[in-house]
Amino acid sequence: MKLTIEGVGKRYKGNFWGLKDFTLELGAGVLGLLGPNGAGKSTLMRILATITRPTEGRALWDGTDIVRSPDGLRAELGYLPQDFGVYPNLNAVEFLEYMAAVKGLDRAAAARRIEELLVLVNLTEARKRPLGGYSGGMKQRIGIAQALLNDPRLLIVDEPTVGLDPEERVRFRNLLSDLGGERIVILSTHIVSDVEAVATGIAVMDRGRLLSYAEPEELLLSVEGRVWEWVIPSAELAAARERWKISSTVRRADGVHARVVSEIPPAPGAVRVPPSLEDAYLAVLEGDRARAAAA
Amino acid sequence: MNAQARVLWHLMRADFLERVRRYSFLMTLGLALYLGYVVSVGQLKLWVDDSRGIYNSPWVGVVMALVINSFLSIAGFYVVKGSVERDRRTGVGQILATTPMSKPLYTLGKMASNLAVLLSMVAVLAVMAFVAQLVVGEDTHLQAGKLLAPLVVFCLPVMAIVAAFAVLFETIPFLCGGFGNVVWFFLWIGLMPASIFGGQALDLIGMGAISSDLYRQTALRYGATKHSFTLGAMADESRNKVFHWDGMDWTPEILLSRLVWIAAAVGLALVAAFFFDRFDTAQGSGRVRKLKVVSPGALAEAAAFPAALPAPAVHLHPLAQGARRFSFFGLLRAELRLLLKGQRWWWYAVALGLFIATLAAPLATVHKVILPLAWLWPILLWSGLGTREARHGTSGLVFSAARPLGRQFPAAWLSGVLLAVATGGGAVARFALADDWTAVGAWAVGALFIPTLALTLGVWSGTGKLFEIIFLVFWYLGPMQRVPPLDYLGAVPAALKAGMPLAYLAATGLLMVAATVGRKRQLARM
Repeated sequence: MKLTIEGVGKRYKGNFWGLKDFTLELGAGVLGLLGPNGAGKSTLMRILATITRPTEGRALWDGTDIVRSPDGLRAELGYLPQDFGVYPNLNAVEFLEYMAAVKGLDRAAAARRIEELLVLVNLTEARKRPLGGYSGGMKQRIGIAQALLNDPRLLIVDEPTVGLDPEERVRFRNLLSDLGGERIVILSTHIVSDVEAVATGIAVMDRGRLLSYAEPEELLLSVEGRVWEWVIPSAELAAARERWKISSTVRRADGVHARVVSEIPPAPGAVRVPPSLEDAYLAVLEGDRARAAAA
Repeated sequence: MNAQARVLWHLMRADFLERVRRYSFLMTLGLALYLGYVVSVGQLKLWVDDSRGIYNSPWVGVVMALVINSFLSIAGFYVVKGSVERDRRTGVGQILATTPMSKPLYTLGKMASNLAVLLSMVAVLAVMAFVAQLVVGEDTHLQAGKLLAPLVVFCLPVMAIVAAFAVLFETIPFLCGGFGNVVWFFLWIGLMPASIFGGQALDLIGMGAISSDLYRQTALRYGATKHSFTLGAMADESRNKVFHWDGMDWTPEILLSRLVWIAAAVGLALVAAFFFDRFDTAQGSGRVRKLKVVSPGALAEAAAFPAALPAPAVHLHPLAQGARRFSFFGLLRAELRLLLKGQRWWWYAVALGLFIATLAAPLATVHKVILPLAWLWPILLWSGLGTREARHGTSGLVFSAARPLGRQFPAAWLSGVLLAVATGGGAVARFALADDWTAVGAWAVGALFIPTLALTLGVWSGTGKLFEIIFLVFWYLGPMQRVPPLDYLGAVPAALKAGMPLAYLAATGLLMVAATVGRKRQLARM
């Protein structure tokens, strides 16, 4: 099981490249795609989901070009788009039965799978209600269920935890973690904690390019010893922000606890703290932007 | 500018700009240009008895005004209807609903925006009217006032009424969708006779006022008049008299009646405010409300639901090797369910009633009336073909499955054909029992043609509206008005003699190719 992405790029109208020269090779595990809005995450995922054709480069699923022969992958693909709809007059079972038929699943196997999935996404009680009456979170869960219908070997989920309550979010993260052991899962999000919990590899993207690809531990090591925390009075926070790229702040009784990634301590009282994935992610983004500004 | 007027202006302006910057607006202007063209080359003429006016400015103005009021009153409605729906879909409505803007102001703003779009089409046709006068060349002396006066006096109120009705239909839950499109078509059919025979009070199109003036003038010139008034494309060698007409006699009654129509349009927009739900999703049609009304006990249970249930310890079993076994019939069954799901009991009751009528009524009546009706009834189901994925946002899910063009697409089409077979099945049984195999053949072509037309227009336009309009025109002019070239189901003997079923079979094949190309294009452009 191997997904190879070779120099993939996508040009939109007005000569705007939404994705440029993206190269990566993936095996079983969970890939977390991190990046700000407009980084090209959704474009990459739509290309890998065989929906969007790349302008350049190629993507191979077990050696087969997915642009030229998409159906081999499609039979083994589960895809949850960022924005998707449902047929409002169908109930959960009917909608999943429809999607199972479209995906080419045997009727009896689909029926068993749908039962399991409804339990998994906690919708057994609402299974007979028309989807038009579902809340945003419930629709998202139906989206997750349809993505898992065909027991996909490649699962692509774009911002999957949007609209889920905290409990559901944790459950879904655990599910992804379980699934990642035996298949490739690509998870796109800008919620770093979601990636932190499940990803076995992290790709950071910005402006359509891959900035870094590493295991979470490697990424954390890259900022080890460079993350500082210090306490500043509230009144001085604005000035500190102008001088340092502060990654997070927490207000406490003794003042504002600010974190920054820096080679040198930002203030005399600053102490080194263990880095978080968010620090590492912001450091990668900042480093790239600084290089771009210098160039 | 006071605050209310400013809100109204900006509502209209933003909505107008949003629409005119769309590709579809260019197509709309193209339609207007085409109408102007057919007048310019004399394909559409106005006859009073067997004579017509010389193409001077007043005559061209009045011909163009009637063309606009006759054709733009139907097409324009479908062009402008949808602006409230767009606000609903894009979420802009939710934002607007939280502003101090009142409901009447919103509906008036939408009406004004609709009117602006329609008047931009009228403006194109006004320019084309000058071109038409010069192209025909019978009188090249341009008199702007006399040419434009009929456009202003007759077209402005009609466009205002159309603009207001479009808003009103959008605010009434059961008229905001495809059913409203069908209702407007039948209203429009009633407009023409009402305008001619209903007296000044019902003369929206202006045909009554214009024909009265022209009858008076032809009577003065040629003596008695037959009171025959024709606007059409018919070529008739016997109609060769021409006369000089110096324009309408603008009486205060005419002007006042036109002002009353404008006031009525504003009134309609205000009535629309009464029905407008201000984007409150908790309101809506009775059916939706029914779904949402739950007992207090159930509400409490639902509130407790997420927290009360422990996280289920479920393990997904891997799918067996043979589980990935595509079944076309399974997919067809799913597509059929998708097509029919959501219909109320009365929909099935009417379909069943029509089916029984095809079995019980005299054969001639079945052919002329009941079969066309039985195949009109599912129009709103067919209009979803080819558009459902875009409309409900399921394209990403459906099109990422294996072979969407080879599997889901033909299954969706076949579900539409099966619907035609089921609703018209009684008729074909009767034709077969009567040994009328020509009728059976024509029926089969009709059963293939209708869903294929729906699918093709749906795929290419992205909306069911185009099919609803075109199919209604086919239905009205073909089987009902018995125009042979538009008879797609063999209801007119002359059409059968002329071999129209074969022509429609060929057209079905071409449409299918077009639909496939369109879907391929959709898949490539996602």
